[in-house]
Amino acid sequence: MSHLLEVKNLDVKFDTDEGRITAVENISLSVDQGEVLGIVGESGSGKSVTAKSIMKLNPGNTSYNEDAEIILDNENVLQFTSKQDLKKIRGGKVSMIFQEPMASFAPAIKIGVQMVEQLLIHKNINKDEAKSISINMLKRVGIADAEKRFNQYAFELSGGMRQRAMIAMALSTMPKLLLADEPTTALDVTIQAQVINLIKDIIKEYQMGVIFITHDLGVIAQVADHVAVMYLGSVVEKGPVNDILKNPKHPYTKGLLAALPDINNLDEPLKPIPGNIPSPLDRPTGCVFRTRCPHHNPEGKDGKIKMKLIEIESGHWVDQCGIKCGQHE
Amino acid sequence: MSDNLISVNNVSVNFDYQENFISKKQKIHAVNNINIQIKKGSFFGLVGESGSGKTTLGRAILGANKISSGNVIFHDDDRNYDLTNMNKQDLKEYRKKAQLIFQDPYAALSPRMTVRDIIAEPLEVMKITNSRQETDEKVRDIAAKCRLNIEHLRRFPHAFSGGQRQRISIARALVSNPKFIVADESVAALDVSIQADILNLLKQLQSELNLTYLFISHDLSVVAHVCDVVAVMYLGHIVEMGPSRELFKNPKHSYTKALLSSIPSIDPEKRSEAIELKGEIPSALNPPSGCAFRTRCPNPGVDCKGGDIKMGLTEVEPGHWVDECCVI
Repeated sequence: MSHLLEVKNLDVKFDTDEGRITAVENISLSVDQGEVLGIVGESGSGKSVTAKSIMKLNPGNTSYNEDAEIILDNENVLQFTSKQDLKKIRGGKVSMIFQEPMASFAPAIKIGVQMVEQLLIHKNINKDEAKSISINMLKRVGIADAEKRFNQYAFELSGGMRQRAMIAMALSTMPKLLLADEPTTALDVTIQAQVINLIKDIIKEYQMGVIFITHDLGVIAQVADHVAVMYLGSVVEKGPVNDILKNPKHPYTKGLLAALPDINNLDEPLKPIPGNIPSPLDRPTGCVFRTRCPHHNPEGKDGKIKMKLIEIESGHWVDQCGIKCGQHE
Repeated sequence: MSDNLISVNNVSVNFDYQENFISKKQKIHAVNNINIQIKKGSFFGLVGESGSGKTTLGRAILGANKISSGNVIFHDDDRNYDLTNMNKQDLKEYRKKAQLIFQDPYAALSPRMTVRDIIAEPLEVMKITNSRQETDEKVRDIAAKCRLNIEHLRRFPHAFSGGQRQRISIARALVSNPKFIVADESVAALDVSIQADILNLLKQLQSELNLTYLFISHDLSVVAHVCDVVAVMYLGHIVEMGPSRELFKNPKHSYTKALLSSIPSIDPEKRSEAIELKGEIPSALNPPSGCAFRTRCPNPGVDCKGGDIKMGLTEVEPGHWVDECCVI
C-alpha cells in the first residue's frame, strides 16, 4: 500500500556565515489518508523545518541530500523546481496552518479577498463560486456571521476566530495533506479545546492526512494517531500514540513526560531534563541526546553508537542508543 | 504585625476608551472590585484566559497601573505602604521591594547590554550600591543564586538560550533584594523541560530569599503545581479563590470546571471530555450584567441567566471562596 506522504532519509542543511548547520538528519516518516501524525520536540528540534521541506518553503541557503525523497501522491516533491509544480503543492495538495494567525494574514487586505485569491489560483472556478465556497467554509469552522467576517480584516477578529479563519482558508482548496504547525499554542485552553475538536471533525469529514506539530504532549495525546519525537534534528522515537505516551522507551521521551506538570499528580516534583539543547553548530556525534542523557551508557556517552531506529514492537521504533539507555533505569 | 504582605481591597481599574475623536468616551472595566490577601511567603496564583484582567491586576499591585478605586496595602516590617496614596520617595522605596519578571525573555533583555550590565542596572538606577565593586559583588552573588555561570556575565543576551535568558531576567528582578515578585506568564514561552527547571528555581529562591510571589499564568497545571493559593479570574472578576489543592480537587464554579476540563489529557484513551465553552470572552467595554460568566455558562440557573444576581464571593469552605451565582 502506498502512503499519502512518505519522507525517506531526509537531511536538511543550512549554509550560514558560521558554517553548515544540520537542521534535520536522516528522517523517515509516513502519513496515510485520514491519519494524524504528531511531531513533538523542543524548540530547535527541526519540527518546522521538516514540515516546510514538504512544501519546499525553506530559505535559499537550504540544501537537501541527493538520496532524500519526499513522495507525495507518487511524486517526489524534492525534484520540483518549476513554478507550476510548486504551485501544485503550495496550497494545492498541501496546506499549512501556522501558529500565529495574525502574522499569516495580510493585515491590509480583507480576509475574504485573501481566501478568494488563493482559490482562484488553485481551482478552476470563477469569483462568485470562490466566494460561496469561502463563506461556506467559514461557516463550517464555526464562525458566526460568516458573510460579515468575509468582509473584515484580520485585526478585527479575536485570536480564536482568526485561527478558525486560517483553518477555513487552508481547507477551502481541499488539500490532501494539512500541515499544522503549533496551531493551538497561542490560544487559551478553552479555545484550544474548541480548535482541536474542530480539526478532528474536519479530518474525519474530508479524510485528509495531517502532520500536527506541537511541543505540547497533551495536545498530541488528544489528536494524533502516530507520534514522532524529535530532538536536535533527529527522530529518536516514533510509533502509535498509545505506545509512545504510555510506554516510552527513549530517555528523551521519558524526560519530556516527566517534565510535564500533571494536574492529577501534584505530589510528583517536576523533573527538568538537565542541561541545554546544544547549538546545531556543534551537534554531538553519535547519539544526539548523549550530552543530556541521564543514563551513562558508556558507548553511547562516547558517541560511538550511531543513530539508527530499531523496531522494538510492531510500529514502535526507538533509537538504538536510546534502547540501551532506557534499560538502565 | 500582619501575616499578609499585600492586601488588595476593593480594587477596580478602569481605562478610558474612545474609538475615534468624535465618538463618546467609554470606560473599559478591566478589573472589578477585587479583594485578595497575599500571605507572606506564599505562592499566590492568578489564572484566567487572555483578557481576564490578570496582568492589569498584577501591574496595579506593582503601582504600574493607576488604581481607579479601592486600595492596595504593602505591609513591610516596619511600616505599611498605601499604593493609592504614595509620594515619590515612597514609590522609589516600594520599587526596590516589589519587582516584575516578564513573559518573553527575548524581548525583556536589551541586546546591546552585557548580562552584567543588565543585572546591575536596577542597582545603579535605584542607587542601592555606592561603588562599582559593591555592584559587582551583588551581581555575582545573585547570578550564582540563579545558577548563571559567572564567566557568562561578560556576554550579550543573544548568546543564551530561552531558559538561560529567563534566569537572567530573574536575577535582574532579584538583585535589589525585593520581598515581593510578580511573575507574569514567566514560563509560558519556554519548552516543558526548561519550564520545569525555571519553576524549580523560583521555588528554591523563594525559600532562600524569603520571597512572596504573585504568579500569573494561563496554564492551570503549572499553577496547580507551584502555587499555594489560587484565584481564578474572568472578565475582571475573581470567580473562585482558595487553597490550590482544594480548588483543583473540588472546583465549584462552572468556569473553573470548564477550564480544568479543557486541559488536554496526556492519556490518549481519555479523549475529549472537555466541557466545551461556547464562544469567547465578551468585551470588557460591554460586560454582561450580573454574573460576568452567564453568557458562556454551560448550565446557567434561571436567576443568573437574566443577570439578576450580583457578583460577589461567598466562603463555601474555610478559605475557599466562590462567586455567589454559582453557589446557588
